[in-house]
Amino acid sequence: MVRSIRRDDLAALMALVGETGVGLTTLPNNEGLLRGRIEASLASFAGTAEKADEQWVFVMEDIAAARLVGICAIAGAVGLREPWYSYRVGTVVHASRELGIFTRTPTLFLSNDHTGASELCSLFLAPDYRVGRNGALLSKSRFMFMAEFSDRFSRKVIAELRGVSDSAGRSPFWESLGRHFFSMDFAEADYLTGIGKKSFVAELMPKHPLYSSFLSKEAQAVIGETHELTRPARRLLEQEGFRYEGHVDIFDAGPALESNLEDIDAIKKSSSQVVQALSVVAEASSAVMLISNARMSDFRVGLGRCIVTSDGVTLDPDVAQALDITVGDAVRLVALRPAERAASGERGARGSRG
Amino acid sequence: MFVLRPAELTDLPQIEAIAAKSAIGITSLPPDRDRLIDKITNSRYAFADEVDIPGEESYFFVLENAATGEIVGTSGIAAAAGFHDRFYSYRNEIIVHASQELKVSNKIHALHLCHDLTGFSLLTSFFIDPAFADSDLPQLLSRARLLYVAEQRHRFADKLAAENPGVCDAEGRSPFWNAVGRRFFNMDYPQAEQLSGGRSKTFIAELMPQYPIYVPLLPAAAKLAIGQLHPDGELPFSILMDEGFEADTYVDIFDGGPTVEARVETLRTVRLQRRVTFSARIADLTEAIEAAEAGEAVLSIIANTKSEGFRATIAPAVFGVAAEGSCVKFSRETALLINIDDGDAVRVVALDPESHHLTVASW
Repeated sequence: MVRSIRRDDLAALMALVGETGVGLTTLPNNEGLLRGRIEASLASFAGTAEKADEQWVFVMEDIAAARLVGICAIAGAVGLREPWYSYRVGTVVHASRELGIFTRTPTLFLSNDHTGASELCSLFLAPDYRVGRNGALLSKSRFMFMAEFSDRFSRKVIAELRGVSDSAGRSPFWESLGRHFFSMDFAEADYLTGIGKKSFVAELMPKHPLYSSFLSKEAQAVIGETHELTRPARRLLEQEGFRYEGHVDIFDAGPALESNLEDIDAIKKSSSQVVQALSVVAEASSAVMLISNARMSDFRVGLGRCIVTSDGVTLDPDVAQALDITVGDAVRLVALRPAERAASGERGARGSRG
Repeated sequence: MFVLRPAELTDLPQIEAIAAKSAIGITSLPPDRDRLIDKITNSRYAFADEVDIPGEESYFFVLENAATGEIVGTSGIAAAAGFHDRFYSYRNEIIVHASQELKVSNKIHALHLCHDLTGFSLLTSFFIDPAFADSDLPQLLSRARLLYVAEQRHRFADKLAAENPGVCDAEGRSPFWNAVGRRFFNMDYPQAEQLSGGRSKTFIAELMPQYPIYVPLLPAAAKLAIGQLHPDGELPFSILMDEGFEADTYVDIFDGGPTVEARVETLRTVRLQRRVTFSARIADLTEAIEAAEAGEAVLSIIANTKSEGFRATIAPAVFGVAAEGSCVKFSRETALLINIDDGDAVRVVALDPESHHLTVASW
């Protein structure tokens, strides 16, 4: 079950973050900062945070083991406090018919294009839970929240994925570019970013467009490429309609995936229903569904089966208990696997949101 | 005796021979008969024309051994660099990347493509027969141009620039080109140079990267080549440096060679030269030589004040003040060589700037 984070999750969160290693920028191994993120998240859930500070942090809990095993988050709007930088990978053509020259050079333009976008971030699942549907549940749970409370989010949704680095945390892109401008290791720059100093670091980076052909071959090869360990996360997002549109991280050149909120498949095809009955649902009668309650401050998402009729939805009692809902409450539903989602509207009333 | 004068079409065979010998990098002397004919023809028009403001004129001088008619050197001036278009250079820039918060301050060297030197008058085409490299003739070849500029200020811009060849290996491969231009051209430097030596360098420049080049991203050999002079260019470069040209700001966009620039009036030759009247009253060779022995005469670059009939040479000169004002005396032979008569104005500068505080006699 994935749920909104609580103040008393801090200790468990610290233990979890210790496992992330370099590269998960938004989860620095720093207790003060994590506490700050929890507080910011609580304020957001309570509706008291300012737009620029809104962030919703969720944790995945193994209910049986009473263990916190994953985390994910959404930032309401990036770049409203400090500039949000990314490189736009553009093309510059040098051509002369007379000389028979036509050179197409990928060129990196420092941009603030994503300012104001909502960002999916901080996804981390404990290694021993990277089995079955856990990863998909954790990643996609956020779409249930965004569907339920869509007015809290920007139309543009982005997700920055970790770029390529080796086991020692060396990023070929950083080695070829950032290091020249900022004599520090990628891990250090990444940490500074995580503790909210990314714009300081960015201000030390080259402001003028960069011809990528001036970078090392290794660096050129990783522009827009995802770290091996992050590829499953990328696939999950791509299944939902996210695309790489040519924006990359300024430090490791990892891709920023983008989608409009209303085009995210899980959001588009989810429907809001009222719980009609609680009874065991036969495996064959339903696809595995993402099911969420409709409460902002105690938001919960789980996986389960259900039967939808024109009168409402029938849920497993276990699921209802996990989501803390009962007959008469609103829930939101969508099949976990995009292939099993019916075309929009087929399930009858899509219902009004939230 | 050697004389510097405007090139004539009859000089073509000798100029062709020089062009064939000149190194890669002296692009303004193309080893191509038609282009050389154009160059000489344009130059003749330039010297002859009444000019109000600097334009597309290109002045081309030859250094002739008056006794034999042999041409031993060339030099030139283009009135306005990039006329009708743009003149491209890379400007050395320092970008400070600093953060108080992170207690970091990095100076980043970047090359910025610019048109700053567009409209500057450009010193070009310097070539001296190696046999005379150690003589005074390179001074005459380079600096007499400045006497022409001083006399004909309306023909030139207030600022001068000169390109100097950058480093390359024996095959003409330029490390700077290989790291920068080649990425966009897919051809060798000499090939591109040849293409650009002709009608328009701008044509090539437009294919060069328009955004600044961050120097730290370049390979070591290319970094070293920035502002680095080709050994073949040392002689003309050193003369320009002595004149007070600045070499730190601009480099050639193709080979990274230093492009020097200066305001005309700050140049040493321009500051120290004098416009005086030639006095023939006691001018003869014997007397000038006697004066030299007496320490009065100074070996000088002497130029007449004509345009089409411009002549300059090196000879001993004695300065004095007569009823008609400041005067200079030198041998009748010198006067004949630079084609002046008694009472004509000349521009004179001491060959060795240390002797510019000339003894002035009262006549």
